[in-house]
Amino acid sequence: MNGPAADAAPVRRRRLAPLVAIPVAVVMLLLVILLATRDPAGERLAKSPLVGKQAPPVEGVTLKNEQFTLDRVRGEWVVVNFFGSWCTPCIQEHPELVTFQDAHRSARDATVVSVAFSDSPTNVRQFFEKRGGDWPVLSANTNSIAVGYGVIKVPETFLVSPSGVVVAKLIGGVTAGRLDALIDKYTAPAATTPVTTTR
Amino acid sequence: MNPRWRSIGWVGALTVVIVALTFATLSHHSQPTNAERSLDLAEQFACPVCEGQSVAQSDSAAAVAIRAEIATRIDQGQTNAQITDYLIGRFNESISLKPRATGVVGLVWITPVVAFITAVAGLVVVFRRWHLADVAEASDADRVLVERARAKLAAKARP
Amino acid sequence: MNTTIGYTAVLVGFVASLMGIGTIGYALRSAARVSSPVLSMPYMRIGRRYAWVTLAMAVLIFAIMERALITRDFTSAYVAQVGSSKTRPFFNFTSLWSSLEGSIILWTLILCGYVAVIARKFRNRITDPMFAWALLVLFVVTAFFFFLMTGPTNPFKTFDPPPGFDGPGPNPILQNHILVAFHPPMLYLGYVGFTVPFAFAFAALITGRVGEGWLLETRRWTLFAWGFLSLGILLGAWWSYEVLGWGGYWAWDPVENASFLPWLTGTAYLHSVMVQERRGMLRVWNLSLVCATFSLTILGTFLTRSGVVVSVHAFSNSTIGPILLTFFGVIVALTIGLVAWRGDALRAPGRIDSPLSREGAFLANNVFFAAFAFVVLLGTVFPLIIEALQDRRIFVGRPYFDRMTMPIGLVLLFLMAIAPVLPWRKASTELLSQRLFWPAWSAAGALVLSIVIGARGFAPVLAFGLGGFAAGAAARQIVLATRRQGWRGLVGRTNGGMVVHLGVVVIAVALAASSSYTHQQELILPQGQTATVGGHTVTFVSMSTVEEKDKTVTRAQIAIDGGKVYEPALSNFPGFGQPIGTPSVRTSWKDDVYLQIAAPPEADGEPIGLRVIVRPLIVWLWIGGIIMALGTLLAAFPGRRRIPTMPTSARVYEEVRDGDVAAAVV
Repeated sequence: MNGPAADAAPVRRRRLAPLVAIPVAVVMLLLVILLATRDPAGERLAKSPLVGKQAPPVEGVTLKNEQFTLDRVRGEWVVVNFFGSWCTPCIQEHPELVTFQDAHRSARDATVVSVAFSDSPTNVRQFFEKRGGDWPVLSANTNSIAVGYGVIKVPETFLVSPSGVVVAKLIGGVTAGRLDALIDKYTAPAATTPVTTTR
Repeated sequence: MNPRWRSIGWVGALTVVIVALTFATLSHHSQPTNAERSLDLAEQFACPVCEGQSVAQSDSAAAVAIRAEIATRIDQGQTNAQITDYLIGRFNESISLKPRATGVVGLVWITPVVAFITAVAGLVVVFRRWHLADVAEASDADRVLVERARAKLAAKARP
Repeated sequence: MNTTIGYTAVLVGFVASLMGIGTIGYALRSAARVSSPVLSMPYMRIGRRYAWVTLAMAVLIFAIMERALITRDFTSAYVAQVGSSKTRPFFNFTSLWSSLEGSIILWTLILCGYVAVIARKFRNRITDPMFAWALLVLFVVTAFFFFLMTGPTNPFKTFDPPPGFDGPGPNPILQNHILVAFHPPMLYLGYVGFTVPFAFAFAALITGRVGEGWLLETRRWTLFAWGFLSLGILLGAWWSYEVLGWGGYWAWDPVENASFLPWLTGTAYLHSVMVQERRGMLRVWNLSLVCATFSLTILGTFLTRSGVVVSVHAFSNSTIGPILLTFFGVIVALTIGLVAWRGDALRAPGRIDSPLSREGAFLANNVFFAAFAFVVLLGTVFPLIIEALQDRRIFVGRPYFDRMTMPIGLVLLFLMAIAPVLPWRKASTELLSQRLFWPAWSAAGALVLSIVIGARGFAPVLAFGLGGFAAGAAARQIVLATRRQGWRGLVGRTNGGMVVHLGVVVIAVALAASSSYTHQQELILPQGQTATVGGHTVTFVSMSTVEEKDKTVTRAQIAIDGGKVYEPALSNFPGFGQPIGTPSVRTSWKDDVYLQIAAPPEADGEPIGLRVIVRPLIVWLWIGGIIMALGTLLAAFPGRRRIPTMPTSARVYEEVRDGDVAAAVV
């Protein structure tokens, strides 16, 4: 009867939606890829920023009531061991430290220094009386030292060179053999790169 | 309400608001006590053993030790920046809950601001375009549409 | 036996949901083939019935698992993991959702419940393709969760218990308080509730029928989901603060953020949908917001359960991560694709006349809520980005979130004040100066009051002022409505919404006060001594130790302000190394005194390490939450039916006559 139903060409609307959708899609894609490639949080390890730097101070009064500073043992390898009398891996590694100290006693080229973390002097004294170990032990007011070394959990051990540089940080229990191997490695002139190792 | 009274009322309200805000800002003694500073700082560091808690919240040995260290250093008179640098230097960057403002990490601060400014700018542009369209001339496409519609009407009117 | 029945139910449920998809899909396809606008009734009726089958299976699964837990049936691996003969029966019941597999059971149960209700509610319209698509989407999501239970998170694995075996029980944190029975289910009711509007939005996008009000019919649904989510989040905050002693009510923890993100987009949607109802505008915004809300719930589920983020809330790692992430990716891809395809055809022909109008305010609202969500999401995943790019580990914590979200929060408060008084279409300054007059004085009053009480500092005082402003605007609306309509002025969407706004203002004020004016101190307090913190005195009176069936509890008796004695405690559960601290809180209208044992005395007579936190106005957080819940109920109440011929879209006449403006109709 009349003209065709709709002969007018539709007025073109701006295609805005794809313009917005595409960047959003790209961002979402990146997000999904990012999330898909992450390892579970627990497995990420933190590296110590102290390695290769001058060792932070370790100062205090030992169990034997003597004043102790790291300078007193400058010229020797120092094994700075953070522990707690209540901590099982610390108890397990203790005999290793005793062995290590005995081996180096005559050469006087290495010594252990124990720093109790979050523990009472009484417990520490009992610990050493029971398990032996004849080296400087600091047990009171050790928080500053622990924070200075960035101690997160015990046991953590730091190996300090005779010139006072932190050479390695060991998380978890240590063995005498491990310590000796590290000392040999860093006594040889070739090795210059320090390392953070875990057990 | 009588418009004049209303204007006076508005002026009064705005005056009170401005005076009050100014007073509150200027009289604010930003001299927190050592204890308060200690708490503020502790809230900025993550407890290294816990999952996501701050040093202020956690009771683990490491957190307690760090809190004690912060308190000692504040008493010694160190600034917040010095203490922060010290702790990051010893534990490493993952101990700070506040990301740095520089480098790639600084993106986390900048990106929202940039995105927001873009969004607001987009809104302004869109509003401006709509407003202009309201006062704009008819375009050729519009004239064509109108002509076609008129032709249809005329065709319909013819018996 | 339990595990067999349970697993069978899982399989039946999975197959039923697949059958539902198949039946509805077939109906849709055959209708499309003959270009019929109406689907085949018999097929749709059958398709609908599958909703009841899946519900029955979900109920059965839940019941079986509870039975296994309550009877301590250790032949089920899940019960062996979270059950224990020493746990009290109530907590055995709630231990269902204490771990990953059980939480999926709860999710599925709630989802099937919702699907069944939808199937019933719309039973007279099942031949409409739009509804069919929505039901199809719901069945797809149901099938996904049943699929999870068939394999990746199978809760019915068997276990061969050695003689005398006793499970470890749920995490002690989850055995301390009855809130464990409310917080997760509430959250899930919220999360899962958003699946329904999403299904309808998806259907609207596919069928291209956005303008018909389907989204509006599900508005009340969205309101309830939102209400439950808000309540769930607040309960979580209360639990974290009062019971768990995590030192606060909100830590910007990744899992907390994951629950907050859908709340943000959901709130934006609830507001913006009003513009669609009145003016038919912002349709693409609304569709996007609904889809974003649902996607964020899936993303949140992924973040909580995959272990990629460091959080106190996170469930243990599992293989479910990649599956959830894939589901999230698929949903996002489909919705973005649909919006890109359909978006322009769906855009309303109308325009927003002026930025200074209610539509403009809601649009600004959308933008600011989107910004808020963006900031929270960015902060949560940023550590992962840095780790991917630079292999470093950083943390983005409270300092970042507080600083970035505070300005947005303040702007939102301001919007909350002016949006209810802005008219539709266009406002004049004259109109605004009229309507905002008393709210402005309310702001001034709030400022003066807060300063008189002692508040200082720009940000918190500004927050108090804006809170007063927003409260004034909300109160004005309620007063006007009740004056006009009596008690009906309190119910219905707008008025209920104003009550919710009041609740939000109360919460905002409490947040500002408690984050700016907290006093905290760690004391080494010898027995019998008193110390002062933040205007209150605490005295260490005595210690006591009690052996209970499942734990050893050490309590300290601390007297506050020389009066009543409060007892923070440390509970030692054998088998869970670290003792669990329970704080003790003295709540008053003005502030909370929060006590926590930092270090118990080493021996009798030794001093105690006590942490004392004095936080102002905390109780008002919870009161604000109750007001919000009340407002949500009021808003859900059916209000006066809108008259279709009301001239809301009439032309705006802008005649200025001697300072008196005949402005737009309300």
